[in-house]
Amino acid sequence: MTASPTLAPSRRDSTPGVLYSPAVRLIGRRLLAAIPVLWGVTLLTFIVVQALPGSAAQQLLGPNATPEQVQQLEAQLGTDRSMIVRYLDWLGGVLTGDLGSSLSDGRAVTEVIGSALGVTAELVLLALVVSLALTVPIALLAARRPGGVVDRISMAVSMVGLSIANYVLALVLVWVFAVQLAVLPAIGFVPIGDGILDNLRSLVLPAIAIGFPLFCFYTRLLRADILEQMQGQDYVTTARAKGIGPWRVLTRHAFRNSLFGLLTIVGLNLGTLIGATVIIEQIFALPGVGRELLQAISNRNIPVIEGIVLVFAVVVVVANLVTDLLYAVLDPRVRHGNT
Amino acid sequence: MHRFKPVTFGVLSALVIALSACGGGGGNAADGSSSNNGADNPPAAKSGGEITVLEDSGFAGAWPAGLDPATNTNGAANQPMMDTIYGQLFKLVEGGKIEGELAEGSTLSSDGKTFTIKLRPGVKFTDGSPFDAETVKWNFDRSLASPCTCNPKSSWPKLENPAVTTSGTDTVEIHFTAPFAAISRSFISANLNWIASKTSFDKMGEKAFKQKPVGAGPFTVVSNSPSNQLVVQKNPGYFRQGHPYLDKVTFKSIGGDQAAYQALQAGQADAYEGMSTPALVDQASKQSNLTTTQMLSTSPYVIQLNTSKPPFNDQKARDAVYYATDTEAIRKGLFNNRYPTSQTFTGPGGLFYKPTVPGYKTFDLAKAKQLVSEMGGMQVTLGTINVLVAKQTTEALQSQWAKAGIKTKIESYDLAGLIKAFGGPWQSMLQTAGAWDPAIGVGVGFRFNSHSPFTGVKDPALDKLLAEGSGTLDEAKRQTIYDEAGKLISDKSYAPFMFAFAPANLAVKGVYGPGLTTKLPAVAVNPPVSWPDVYKTSGTGQ
Amino acid sequence: MPSSTRVCAMATPDAAAPLELAGAAAEPVRRRSHLTESLELRIPIAIIAFMVVLCFLGPTILGLPAPIGGDILDSNLPMFSAGHVFGTDAVGNDILSRLLHGGQASLEIAFAVNLIGLVFGGGLGALAAYWGGRLDPIIMRLLDVLIAFPSLVLALAIAQSLGPSKINTIFALAFFSVAAFARISRAATLQLREQTFMTAARLSGTPAWRTLLRHIAPNILPGLVTFALLGMGIIIVLEGALSFLGLGVPPPAPSWGNMISTGQQTLSASPRDVLLPSAFLFVTVLAFNLLGDALRSRWSVR
Repeated sequence: MTASPTLAPSRRDSTPGVLYSPAVRLIGRRLLAAIPVLWGVTLLTFIVVQALPGSAAQQLLGPNATPEQVQQLEAQLGTDRSMIVRYLDWLGGVLTGDLGSSLSDGRAVTEVIGSALGVTAELVLLALVVSLALTVPIALLAARRPGGVVDRISMAVSMVGLSIANYVLALVLVWVFAVQLAVLPAIGFVPIGDGILDNLRSLVLPAIAIGFPLFCFYTRLLRADILEQMQGQDYVTTARAKGIGPWRVLTRHAFRNSLFGLLTIVGLNLGTLIGATVIIEQIFALPGVGRELLQAISNRNIPVIEGIVLVFAVVVVVANLVTDLLYAVLDPRVRHGNT
Repeated sequence: MHRFKPVTFGVLSALVIALSACGGGGGNAADGSSSNNGADNPPAAKSGGEITVLEDSGFAGAWPAGLDPATNTNGAANQPMMDTIYGQLFKLVEGGKIEGELAEGSTLSSDGKTFTIKLRPGVKFTDGSPFDAETVKWNFDRSLASPCTCNPKSSWPKLENPAVTTSGTDTVEIHFTAPFAAISRSFISANLNWIASKTSFDKMGEKAFKQKPVGAGPFTVVSNSPSNQLVVQKNPGYFRQGHPYLDKVTFKSIGGDQAAYQALQAGQADAYEGMSTPALVDQASKQSNLTTTQMLSTSPYVIQLNTSKPPFNDQKARDAVYYATDTEAIRKGLFNNRYPTSQTFTGPGGLFYKPTVPGYKTFDLAKAKQLVSEMGGMQVTLGTINVLVAKQTTEALQSQWAKAGIKTKIESYDLAGLIKAFGGPWQSMLQTAGAWDPAIGVGVGFRFNSHSPFTGVKDPALDKLLAEGSGTLDEAKRQTIYDEAGKLISDKSYAPFMFAFAPANLAVKGVYGPGLTTKLPAVAVNPPVSWPDVYKTSGTGQ
Repeated sequence: MPSSTRVCAMATPDAAAPLELAGAAAEPVRRRSHLTESLELRIPIAIIAFMVVLCFLGPTILGLPAPIGGDILDSNLPMFSAGHVFGTDAVGNDILSRLLHGGQASLEIAFAVNLIGLVFGGGLGALAAYWGGRLDPIIMRLLDVLIAFPSLVLALAIAQSLGPSKINTIFALAFFSVAAFARISRAATLQLREQTFMTAARLSGTPAWRTLLRHIAPNILPGLVTFALLGMGIIIVLEGALSFLGLGVPPPAPSWGNMISTGQQTLSASPRDVLLPSAFLFVTVLAFNLLGDALRSRWSVR
């Protein structure tokens, strides 16, 4: 986190408090700082993809194309212009909300990303819901009686779960549930419009493949944090001294604070979570953003690559911002101006 | 706290080893001859039903450029989609014959320079507009100008100007400056074969049309999720009465043979086109719920040698490679004897097939060693495309050549890398060469003609032979010419051939169709399935 | 056939901030026998040591054939065949030999990446936090860019421009390792900076390098080392994910990752090709995780 100057205005009379409140200034500062980051990411991507051998035209035409055919298509696509011109062109478009057109079939990049984003968002949401829904009760039960049965089993299971690669887990899940038992589909995505039940069925296995390692990670984290709260903090001792039972202390006080901590971690990890969806989408043939990015890279479809990278970067930046805000709420030192 | 761990390790390891032991570790000792298990006496055709067909996302299952014949740069691969929407002007039937489908017939002038197509009268596009000569000409002009490798122009002789003319409302002519025997065969899997409705194109505009095209084929587009899923439904106005049999076909893109196989096993699809992994083809042929049909191979594997650079500018080095390559062992060990040997650029499913060439240098390790030591050792790079089977073949070659003293570095490239590699100092490449008719498509010229960017050979005598082969009209004479060309390649040791490889099509029991459960030559990797003739007899819908 | 080019993913989410949350008192303070404590350490250490010895010395000791260059006529031999305990793969190579040599590659990559991350990332983060001022935000912004940048694009770019190789894999993974370590070391150094003994040191005029070396480093090192151990598991798994991409160790040379990604393509025909490297991978990663966990609980209970 960046160092922040003292925030509270020295005169407390007519200055509207909200506008100058630390939280708002924090958001403002972070947003400003985010812009060079986003710019840096898109520029870096452009340079990196340009360095790749081949071109969109070459990829589209395939291995049997003659050089003349490739040149012809490149002229049509406009990819024979210099890199600087193309980047500035694209940048100009972005500032007006136009992300350009796909080099493959001319569709608007926003259209290409739009439908794919829905799939990935639903997948990520499901994975988070599944993992958090399990994490919270299990971590609570484990922390309630440290060293007890629930605690030991959950810690053992989560340790094993953390050690399995998610792509191996996905392969095993498909083999067991789709091929052997044939209760869940091996591939494909059913849009919500075609039936909510089928839609969920098509996402169960992928969500578990992503969600299970998450669950393992979060459970250990939450449990450790609750225990730390229970043991270390003064307010816990005070509460116990007042005669409030241990379970109540747990759920009312320690848990709430620990949950904040967990949520900040969830926020920080959002970027890598999106990364995990790429390999899972490929295995399960889900038409999400990850798969779209893969195809775009393979096709050297620069506008689509840039568009997706931009979306990813925005998500990560926003997640970091929210996380920092939560930290600010959580940690009084940050709230009042010293980092 | 984690005291159970040691026990867990023990149990887990034992479990894994036990699972591995019983899980298909065995090789296939039986001769893996192509099996058509159960499709030899298929039940009678009936109307109705829907099927889901899987296509490999690296090939047919990707249509990033849309579905307009003039701009679909992936057209040759997407022929299932294009054939269902547009139908075909000409189609390939069993026995390797070309028949008219939307075209009634065709003739080639006696000098071989004018190709006349007679259109079937009374055919209409699904938007009601007539399927006439003017529309066909408009399509031809667009398609011939397209920068697509499915544009057959690149393997044609020079066209006259004007290239395409019409005569009346039902006749279209194509004019060449030199005779061209293979013209009707050129149409298969080429963009000329697919005729789009000009009326709809003008109405929708190019961008919308390529997403939801309109043709005169057996099916019409219901929905298109690009490179993911295409749903087509029966065209009740299709010119063939009683066809298509199926009500609906859903094409789904899938990431490879293994995923497709699992999806079939999970009951999620009815067919998969183009399975190339030998181990999975063998596995599939053993399943009683699947029909596995080995297609007829037309394009043999060839080890291209770059004769313009050392070491292969020296014939001795090239001879050494011929003698060091044990094709039989690879056929047996990697491919289970599925494919017969080829010593020239023709395959058993293609025209002008000749399995052997007189004087071909077959495997002889002693001779290879001797030649290599005469050269003072050899170090070469062998590249290929990033496909599992191709990579495994180069690994096997690497081991074999090592025994003769040739040190090999193998590289596998994706498409862009492959093209870049050909532009640089490459030494040897494992590719496929040949085509159903050697004069069309990728064919032979692509790999052996002096002017091709992908050739390793610059031999005017060979160029002359290949040009003659395409210009001669007499089939018997063409056979002789191609035999000569094969012998020339063999005598000069330009490139050892291995065997002609073709994928297999898988279908769930109850689904049948020409090219799906019967054998057709693989014109452009996958054979052209005749979709109006595909039917489903099992009761369960998908 | 498929472009079979797949993607990069982190199997375990990056553990940037957890040091603050879970670092302190990961275990409840209770009576723990010396036996439990030492077993907690000894078992994973033993497993790791066994794996390392097996992979690096095993091929010589057991007299195994080379991992590549097998005879094609020996392809797909089943388990427990003569001369091949785990059988052979589709091109005739001995699977056990490939497993052990693959382990060498995977372990080497993981070790190199984590070492680079620890030294460069840890150093960078500590420096940034210690000096603060103008340098800190700049470094943090750079790290943010790196973390926001989809690793996939970078990894693919490296693979295709430079060609896939072990060195390039290490290079690609090191980027993210450095960023992750930098964040952790920065957070830890920040915490330290607030403490009174640091102020005392500053006031008494201790030169910066001395402070860093003698005060900061010993205090943040345990946390970094713990993270490095967890990172071993993460990187080994990541290398496998990259193999699905076409990066990673280029076949035919084996690594656990590329054995899984290649074996996956014929999973239904011979599951053993995936199960065996997955099992080795699992056991090794588990051992590193257990060790990291045990050390962390040791070092945080003061």
